[in-house]
Amino acid sequence: MSKTLEHNFVEQLEANQNIVHKVCRLYTNNQDAHNDLFQEVVIQLWKAYPKFRGDSKFSTWMYRVALNTAITLYRKKKRRINTQEFESVEFKIKAEEYDDTEEQQLKLLYSAVKELNDIEKALVFLYLEDKNYKEISETMGISEVNARVKMSRIKTKLKTILNP
Amino acid sequence: MDELELLKKDWQKDSNAYPKLSYNDIYKMILKKSSSIVKWIFIISLLEFIFWIVLSIAFKGNKEMNQFDNLNSNYIVISLTVIGYIILAYFFFMFFKNYRTISVTDNAKKLMENILKTRQTVRRYVAFNLLYLIIACVLLLFIAFDQDKQLINLANIAAANGESFKFYAIFILTVSGLLAIVILILLIFYWLVYGILLRRLNRNYKELKKLDL
Repeated sequence: MSKTLEHNFVEQLEANQNIVHKVCRLYTNNQDAHNDLFQEVVIQLWKAYPKFRGDSKFSTWMYRVALNTAITLYRKKKRRINTQEFESVEFKIKAEEYDDTEEQQLKLLYSAVKELNDIEKALVFLYLEDKNYKEISETMGISEVNARVKMSRIKTKLKTILNP
Repeated sequence: MDELELLKKDWQKDSNAYPKLSYNDIYKMILKKSSSIVKWIFIISLLEFIFWIVLSIAFKGNKEMNQFDNLNSNYIVISLTVIGYIILAYFFFMFFKNYRTISVTDNAKKLMENILKTRQTVRRYVAFNLLYLIIACVLLLFIAFDQDKQLINLANIAAANGESFKFYAIFILTVSGLLAIVILILLIFYWLVYGILLRRLNRNYKELKKLDL
């Protein structure tokens, strides 16, 4: 592949890398796993780049590849220590002394989102990134109506987790 | 305020919380090799094709199999071989065709479907091979009992002693026992390899399908 192609790609990715970091944050529980998934997303983006025609924005195209890598292509490695349990313990203790401040609520919300399954996380991610239901449904391959229904269920689920 | 709206507000403002990788860091990353499940599926599928091809070649070089060449059964052995290769070529073509449709820029559901379809081709090929193995075994045994002098002699001796039933029963049980062991080993292999490799994909695909019911 040509040097210009490489250069354009790396430059655009550097500018938009937060999208990939955000996906990694949602789907992994420690720094090692974060880096690992980040690496795989970059490889997948690079492999798909020659077919990127620029008819959509680079960032829009990135969402799809990054999510697909996280949900489908990425193979979690076994050797890693799963720190999720530690996190939930920490959050559970905090939940008991819940004092309704926004910060506490946010922490609880983040830990609740982490407990969702892969597909629910993807929908929440796109929602948090301010994507409309049309884009969400197109990225996931489900109908717009079903994307809406699922999102409202996730909202209820999060409410229940927060206010048991 | 809606819980998710609160989260969204925070999610969008804390973009500084992420590591900033430099141009060079990213450049180094694009030179590395992928370890995605698609790559693993590709390697394992190729190994499966190779396994069956090697197995069939090994069978043909076998001394016992060479005996069949001397018997009056060449037309059956040749047609079995030709059918085997035609079907191999078909599956190989289908596997590559499906593999090439896997694209990370498809939507999530389509991507999963294409990966599963590629897998299905190889699974069907293996199922075909097992069936082929069973049919070939049965056919070759019939030929052997019909034409192999040594075997006919043994059968005649058994018949003279009134142990015809015992003789055939032992023969059939041994052959089906061996076939069962081979099939069992393959099933365990499948269960282990693909159980681990495709567990997450299957779970996520089911979840997506459930959404669209």
